[in-house]
Amino acid sequence: MRRTAGRKGSFRLRTALFNSVVPVLMAFAIGAIIIAAIARNPFATYGQMISKSLFDPEGLMRTLHVAAPLILTGLAIAVTFKANVFNMGVEGQAVLGGFFAGIVGAHAGGMAPAFHVAICLVTGIGCGVLFALVPAVLKAFFKVNEMVVTLMLNYAASEVVIFLSEGVFRDKAAGYVATPMIRESAMFTKMGGTDFTAFFFISLAVFVLILFIMRRGRLGYEIDAMGKNLEFAEATGMKVWKKILIIMILSGALSGLAGAGWMQSERFRYTPGFSGSPGLGWDGMLISLLGAHEPIGVVVAALFYSALKVGMSKIELFTEVPKEIVSVIQGSMILFLSVKYITRSRGLRSLLRRGES
Amino acid sequence: MVVVNKILYDAVLSAAPIILCVLGGMYAHRANVLNIALEGMMLLGAFFCCLFTILLGNYLLALVLAMVITTTVGLVFSLFGITLRGNVIIVGLAINLFASAITAFLLQVMGRAELVASNHTVSNLRIQIPFIRDIPLLGSALSGHTPLTWFSYVAILLMWVLMYKTRFGVYVRVVGENEEAARAVGIRTGVIKYAAITVGAVSCALAGASLAMDDLGGIFTRDMTAGRGFIAIAAIFCGRGKPGASSLYAIAFGLARSLALNLSIYAGSAARLFNAVPYVIIVLVLLVASVVKNRNSRLRGFQNE
Repeated sequence: MRRTAGRKGSFRLRTALFNSVVPVLMAFAIGAIIIAAIARNPFATYGQMISKSLFDPEGLMRTLHVAAPLILTGLAIAVTFKANVFNMGVEGQAVLGGFFAGIVGAHAGGMAPAFHVAICLVTGIGCGVLFALVPAVLKAFFKVNEMVVTLMLNYAASEVVIFLSEGVFRDKAAGYVATPMIRESAMFTKMGGTDFTAFFFISLAVFVLILFIMRRGRLGYEIDAMGKNLEFAEATGMKVWKKILIIMILSGALSGLAGAGWMQSERFRYTPGFSGSPGLGWDGMLISLLGAHEPIGVVVAALFYSALKVGMSKIELFTEVPKEIVSVIQGSMILFLSVKYITRSRGLRSLLRRGES
Repeated sequence: MVVVNKILYDAVLSAAPIILCVLGGMYAHRANVLNIALEGMMLLGAFFCCLFTILLGNYLLALVLAMVITTTVGLVFSLFGITLRGNVIIVGLAINLFASAITAFLLQVMGRAELVASNHTVSNLRIQIPFIRDIPLLGSALSGHTPLTWFSYVAILLMWVLMYKTRFGVYVRVVGENEEAARAVGIRTGVIKYAAITVGAVSCALAGASLAMDDLGGIFTRDMTAGRGFIAIAAIFCGRGKPGASSLYAIAFGLARSLALNLSIYAGSAARLFNAVPYVIIVLVLLVASVVKNRNSRLRGFQNE
């Protein structure tokens, strides 16, 4: 049964590709069927989408811009899912982070732009961490299922945030529910007339950091061990409760940073549609699944998904296909990605044969 | 006094879809499958019930077709979650996203912001009950509901019978408690899980219909379920999957929603905070349940779930 390192590597690459590419193609096929069903040409639609998001300078810069928070939420999911800890609260953590970054951005002022930007980002990180600590503490000390808790707290967070933006923090001058616009000193500057900002570089720097932690750091090794076998990791003397806390704090920080960055580089004020549909955290989940919870995979998936999103938002101007088709494709993609078609121990056929049990 | 009547009436009305959702979702819960797709299936039920009522002009037929669609979705959930052994939470999430997206997409294609079934007059369906109507306070809350709303409360009893007095109910509970033992005595656990999820899918269609056709009187708006599926999951967890107890929590959450609705005139937007209550309650219930469980458990450390 011993494999050589090279064969092992090619096996991993092959399965990773198969497990990611096939679901993507199937999701696009579903999208194509739906587009065809409303009597539009799916190939022309997809063609337009790619040309507007990748082969158009402005569109390409926008793709990079949109990818910045998605890389972060993708990593936030990846670090927890890899360790068999399921933080489904990335969405709520990002929204809270973005909201309070926006409040600090609007109400604090009179400082140097770089400092103000940093303060807002730190606020976002802090909020993300605090919110992630609730399920983390419940999991680490009381063994409460973190999946359900984080899922539920998302809704609680969004209700509370909407309440705050309708009440105390509402911008009275705006005709709709929104918090005041953040000050210019808290905004990332747009570069060269495109949407691209320095936030993308921050996001990349964080990626390099996470890559280093996962590949070279002790934490990365421990995350791997927990993901492979939690009981064994514990039995060998690893303090699993401590690692759960650390992983959740890391995940919360990444999510909070994503929300804050999105606020300061794109939205500039909180409105109920701040996170978009279906939201930064849910996008992050797709991205992490697509990237097989590996940092490099996450970045590639984030860029891919961002191109899809940008292309589709522009497509509405050129074809008559509603942009909601992206979410349809995304939903199908997550569905197909939820299954591992090939793993080391079994191939495609045995999956179907033994499925009944 | 009028306000109290209104609050109680609305509580009965807004609890109905949650109860239906709870009663169906309970089976998957007892079979040890966490089905978070309740939310999406309910949304699809509401959408297609509304759409088919407009297209066909027949409410009952629309209801049946909506059930067929949610059942199909339930089968997709089972296929990916059980046969292909995907992570059920991720499968459920995918279905929720898909449901929200496809309904929004279809609304866009039709060029509408919402569906309005103008041929559906909910007041014709409301039944005034002669004697109950005259009871002070309670009468006005209990009388004047549609058959579907009544059914959702009667269904508590029906589902109790199905859960505790039939072979199917026993099998579901056995599969949930100890799957390997169930398999050892020859129960086809996969089939039972499929069936449990299908029961949930059918009742989600009813829940969606109750929401769109009774509560709003024949209107579908984007993402109108607004977390009710998750509230139902909260109720199921709180009631430990027992029909009566879970339904009581559903009624309590219905009351919270009704309070949020009716008190917003007085309390302003602070009433919105009532909406967050169910989510916080489930976290507390899970905490208590977990503490109790672990106090009696001698298992060391963390287990893979």
